[in-house]
Amino acid sequence: MPYLSDLIGKPVADVDGECIGHLTDLIASLRGKMPHPEIVALAVKRSGGILLVPFSDVAAFIAPAIPLTRRLQDIVPYEPGEQGLYLAQDVLDKQIIDTNGMRVVRVNDLELVRVNGHFYVANVDVGGLGLLRRLGLLKTAQWFAGRFRRKLRPSTISWDAVELLPGDQPMRLRVPSDKIAELHPADLAEIISDLSRSESSRLLESLDVKTVADTLEEVEPDFQASLVEAMPDEKVADVLEEMAPDEAADLLAELPQDRSRELLELMEDEEAEDVRKLLTYPEDTAGGIMTTEFIAVRPDYTAEQAVSVLREAADEAETILYVYVTDSEDHLVGVFSLRDLVLARPETPVAQFMQHRVASVSLRDSQDEVARVVAKYDLSAVPVVDDQGRLHGIVTADDALDKIIPTKWKKRLPRLYH
Amino acid sequence: MTAWQRLKPLRIRLLTLLVILGPGLITASADNDAPGIATYSMAGSTYGYRFLWVILAITVGEIIVMEMAGRMGAVTGKGAADLIREQFGVRVTVFAMVCLLIANLGTTIGEFAGVAAGTELFGLPRYISVPLAALLVGLLVTRGSYRYVEKVLLALSLAALSYIITAFIEHPNWGEVLRQAIMPAFQGGTDYLLTLLAVVGTTITPWGIVYMQASVADKGVALDEYKYTRLDVVTGSAWGNVVSAFIVICTAATLFAVGIRVETAEQAAMALEPLAGVWAKGLFAVGLLAASLLAASVLPLSTAYAVSEAFGWEHGLDRPLREARIFYSLYVGIIVLSVAIVLIPGIPLFPLMWFSQSVNAILLPVLLVLVLKLANDKRLLGRWTNSRLQNVLAWVLTGLIILATVLLFASPLVS
Repeated sequence: MPYLSDLIGKPVADVDGECIGHLTDLIASLRGKMPHPEIVALAVKRSGGILLVPFSDVAAFIAPAIPLTRRLQDIVPYEPGEQGLYLAQDVLDKQIIDTNGMRVVRVNDLELVRVNGHFYVANVDVGGLGLLRRLGLLKTAQWFAGRFRRKLRPSTISWDAVELLPGDQPMRLRVPSDKIAELHPADLAEIISDLSRSESSRLLESLDVKTVADTLEEVEPDFQASLVEAMPDEKVADVLEEMAPDEAADLLAELPQDRSRELLELMEDEEAEDVRKLLTYPEDTAGGIMTTEFIAVRPDYTAEQAVSVLREAADEAETILYVYVTDSEDHLVGVFSLRDLVLARPETPVAQFMQHRVASVSLRDSQDEVARVVAKYDLSAVPVVDDQGRLHGIVTADDALDKIIPTKWKKRLPRLYH
Repeated sequence: MTAWQRLKPLRIRLLTLLVILGPGLITASADNDAPGIATYSMAGSTYGYRFLWVILAITVGEIIVMEMAGRMGAVTGKGAADLIREQFGVRVTVFAMVCLLIANLGTTIGEFAGVAAGTELFGLPRYISVPLAALLVGLLVTRGSYRYVEKVLLALSLAALSYIITAFIEHPNWGEVLRQAIMPAFQGGTDYLLTLLAVVGTTITPWGIVYMQASVADKGVALDEYKYTRLDVVTGSAWGNVVSAFIVICTAATLFAVGIRVETAEQAAMALEPLAGVWAKGLFAVGLLAASLLAASVLPLSTAYAVSEAFGWEHGLDRPLREARIFYSLYVGIIVLSVAIVLIPGIPLFPLMWFSQSVNAILLPVLLVLVLKLANDKRLLGRWTNSRLQNVLAWVLTGLIILATVLLFASPLVS
């Protein structure tokens, strides 16, 4: 199958065999239901400028010199429409997202495929073979590999698993793509950490608030802060509302005070209140890493009532594995697990099957202490109480262990100075 | 009179100076890494004040080039290697990256030679100190603890400032200094041309350009705040060269005056004797070591980043080894090769340091031409392309470096 790099630079001849210029680019466009873009025009470089020749005027595409079916003066230049993608200019040598491998790679070459007389972009070559082909060393390398009885394997990605970066796309294609939005936030976070700062903020801008929030929760707060630096305040406020309060508080703590105050003003009162409270605790204490989104019921609730509370609150809550039991003054009096709840008869009051001795940490306990308690009692979340035993929040196991096993290293150059 | 007593009236002056110039000066002294100190010491001790005008002229050149790199980083958010690949394709990129690799390998060798020379002044043989330093650098950077050590190294690199004080203690003929700083003079000969190229190559480095652009892109400078970045770039470059000029003045006044042409670190350290007396060696060694370690921490890594980025190889210290083999091989390879070369028995450390900078200068035009073409690309930079003055000055600089290189290779044939 032909490669873009083999085609670029070939002479183009009109029907009389007169050389009219050299191929500099191919224009491809998505048509119909095909996930692969079709070649619709050739960009031919002439002494007077670039001529766009419609693909329908091409007599034979795979030829040492590409012959056309018309005379030069009869060619009606192709009008680059809304969908046109210049393969050499917009795609070749650029970075793309491999949505299957969840990584950022560089396009070394494009492989075309012929179907029913039409040419489509089939695969993206991201491997060393593509580089060697571009250097004109492919044959030599294959010969060498042959001597050692090895076969060089191409490393290609199918076009339908490829996403262009927002910055490299023509304006009209800048719509949030389904392929990107369908990725797991943790994978998206990894891709974003692979990109340069401006590319990653452009990618984030093209995503909806919910996806941005989920993705941000997967990266370290200082990296979060740098990502939202260029985002408009309104959007950041929306994203913060969408994030868990503890994550939102961590992010705000990383921002300059003025900005974080403005953002809090912009947020919905209820969400802002939670975050404000969390911001008052030092970062590395139980209070600093806890979330206020837990489920609590009164001791006199029946199992059935508890289930309906759980149903309503499940969306917001960080975990539904534990339901905490508090008295009228918020004192933590017990806890029961989802398992206890499921096994209880609907009419049984929760006080009858809850655990009375609850492992908890206090607001000022260090993160290390929280991690120790979580590990010791084998919990997936631990409640946080004040000196009077009032329940203020919970720390989930992953947040407690964050300090010991950081979620993600940041990609960052070491500084020399500046 | 002890060194400390001698220093007393100056201490007050120095403190005032530091408050005013603090941040810039720290940048400036870190700028003068081991190859830099070696080059300027050699130039000053061999040719007296005759290289001062070169430093003045090259300051303008450095500001122009670094500003270009910073601007491109701010506007495109991409590194230099990235842009070269995207705009010029694979062949040009391979050529540019090979040049960058050779230049950076040379400078890294220079840095480890600096470590060797610095520790040997304390009596520690290089066969122990250099592998140790390489290990230390690797651990610091990969374990992420570099940030903390960096501050200590930056503070120690302030030792380079002692050249400024020493120059004033020596009371050089300031009229003569000034005259030579503004009167261009040129001479032929391989030695002179090599020195000239070394002075240029240690001031404007391929890796400096790449690093500048990457760090501005990484910081994500908003364009309306770009003027502050520009100010930062300009003052940083200017101050670095003030310290460089004082190394030349100092070595010229102390060593050239008595006919010592610096060929070893011991001799270079003698330039600080008027200030530090018997402590001169220690002071010199500390400055050399700190600056070398700083640069050795950053250089191999930023090279591996740039090259991997250009070819789309997976990179980053957060990657496991099996995913980013080429990236780690480049990083480790540069360090190991540099260490191996420095440890070749009998290899002269001091010439190794400055000669690597001549090589840098010879390779510099490759990158300069590419950066210049990029900086004039309207599609890429929009209204942020070069002004005509910037273009003229940058092309003149590029032309002069090429001319000096041609003369260098032609001079043995002529004579």
